[in-house]
Amino acid sequence: MPIIEAQGLAKTYRVAQKKAGLAGAFKSLFRREYREVKAVSGVSFTIEPGEMVAFLGPNGAGKTTTLKMLSGLIHPTSGQARVLDHVPWNRDDAFRRQFSLVMGQKNQLWWDLPAGDSFQLHREIYSIAPAEFQATLGELTELLGVEHLTKQAVRELSLGERMKMELIAALLHRPRLLLLDEPTIGLDVVAQAKILEFLRDYHARRGVTVLLTSHYMRDVEALCDRVLVINHGRLIYDGPLAGVIERFSESKLVKLRFETHAPEELSEFGDVARKDGPLAELKVSRSRVAAVLAAVLERYVVVDVSVEEPPLEDVISRVFQEAEPAHDAA
Amino acid sequence: MGNLLGRSGRYLRMLRRLAVHTLSRELMFRGNFLVKVTVEVLWLAILLVFYKVVFARTNQLAGWDEPQYLFFVGCFFALNGLIEMLFLDNCNEFAELVRTGDLDGLLLKPVDEQFLITCRKFDWGCAPNVLMGAGVMALALYDMGWQVSLLRVGLFVLTFAGGVALAYSFMLMLTSVSVWMVRNQSLMEMWWLFSSLARYPREIFSGRLAEPIGMFFTFVLPILVVVNVPANVMVRALDPFMVGLVFASSAIALWVSRRFFLYALDSYRSASS
Repeated sequence: MPIIEAQGLAKTYRVAQKKAGLAGAFKSLFRREYREVKAVSGVSFTIEPGEMVAFLGPNGAGKTTTLKMLSGLIHPTSGQARVLDHVPWNRDDAFRRQFSLVMGQKNQLWWDLPAGDSFQLHREIYSIAPAEFQATLGELTELLGVEHLTKQAVRELSLGERMKMELIAALLHRPRLLLLDEPTIGLDVVAQAKILEFLRDYHARRGVTVLLTSHYMRDVEALCDRVLVINHGRLIYDGPLAGVIERFSESKLVKLRFETHAPEELSEFGDVARKDGPLAELKVSRSRVAAVLAAVLERYVVVDVSVEEPPLEDVISRVFQEAEPAHDAA
Repeated sequence: MGNLLGRSGRYLRMLRRLAVHTLSRELMFRGNFLVKVTVEVLWLAILLVFYKVVFARTNQLAGWDEPQYLFFVGCFFALNGLIEMLFLDNCNEFAELVRTGDLDGLLLKPVDEQFLITCRKFDWGCAPNVLMGAGVMALALYDMGWQVSLLRVGLFVLTFAGGVALAYSFMLMLTSVSVWMVRNQSLMEMWWLFSSLARYPREIFSGRLAEPIGMFFTFVLPILVVVNVPANVMVRALDPFMVGLVFASSAIALWVSRRFFLYALDSYRSASS
């Protein structure tokens, strides 16, 4: 049975409009105008237990709004969802015990107290047996290498350390579903790598289902085999990660190494993405790759050649850039 | 029954943990804590001196003699202190939680939302008010040579709890509006109005103009019964109708405010991330 089932999930916000200036402010006091913003328009998908799925989309595409509906924080305007066999927005305790939502931009720990104190409160909130609590806490702090930091006030921790503590708090009750909203935002490369490694290990150990939103393709490539791409509140792709490139990129990258300098006339064969001494990279449409390779090899002495897919980062960024101006949804 | 006991035990343990956490936090900023306590002590001292001066010139104030009035002041101070210690800061912070979207984290916890939102933090700086209020009440009882009556003590405890429930419900209704208003600075002003009304005996609302106001704040919006009834029960005539009014109005207010709070939460939009 799917762990998440969304059917035509939609959310429309009514947003107040105000004309600029003092006159506009006074006018809005008496007569306020509203605009309807469709944050999510009929999204449908299912996620099976144990999957790690990435939710991609530009700012305002509707990712976070969808996550908030699936976690029961907001009610949809229309559509149905079942998460862990519950209607999420009923917010049953039995439902809330089984999942966690970690938001990279939000702090859920007590700011002035050591993280260890917040963990104790979590123990009470989730009614975790003391022995199980100690075992889970020990396992998580060891995996993240933060055993020595649980007695330090949260406000004195670095951003990376705080995110590790947030993850520990989110996993103490051993949730079956983990919703991650930009978990590595603002972190340096080392901290990002540590968090990703932890999530991979934890998933392998516990088989937790993960739905992740991130703007860093590195996160997505490191963790997820399947992606959902959302734009203007509509799901435009649901499939394997590798398929994203096939679906949204019409070209491949032909990498060439010439005996001497790369020739000037390469642009005849495709878009020159890079030219540096004997090295050159050509963007060639998929249907012409074989013909272009044959022509180049016939005309020049080529020492080495490879044909690669363009980087996911570039493909996604092009998809996002081609999007119409994003609306106000989260 | 066992389930209910287990649930109550869990909430009591959470309350204890929250109380300990907030005390630890307060003590980290002990300068702030000490200033707050000092201000509250001075505030009560000024109030007592003021009534001492008034009673130097008259034997009665709206039908209350000096020890009775002293008891009333102590009762108000304890009740107000208890409300401010347990709920005021939490309710006041609610609008900010809505505005920033930090409410999300609280709504995801498998705990009653009303409990977590309104009892999350204890304002320990107000705890001395409760003790000082209790001390003033004890002093007043000693002054008047009060004879112990278990009936009166029992009814006092129950009507005092009813008063706390009424004040809490009033605050919860005001707080809930924040979901739509997002910025709700009027809460403190409304609470000030509430405590200003509750701090005087109901009898001061006499005369052609004031009497309807007194009736309104007794039977329609029963703010005036919050301190008046428990204080009356203990040191003046025991009026069963007013006692019943406190019980009935507090039960209705708790139910209505909870429904309104849950209805407001259903309209929560969360903030954009």
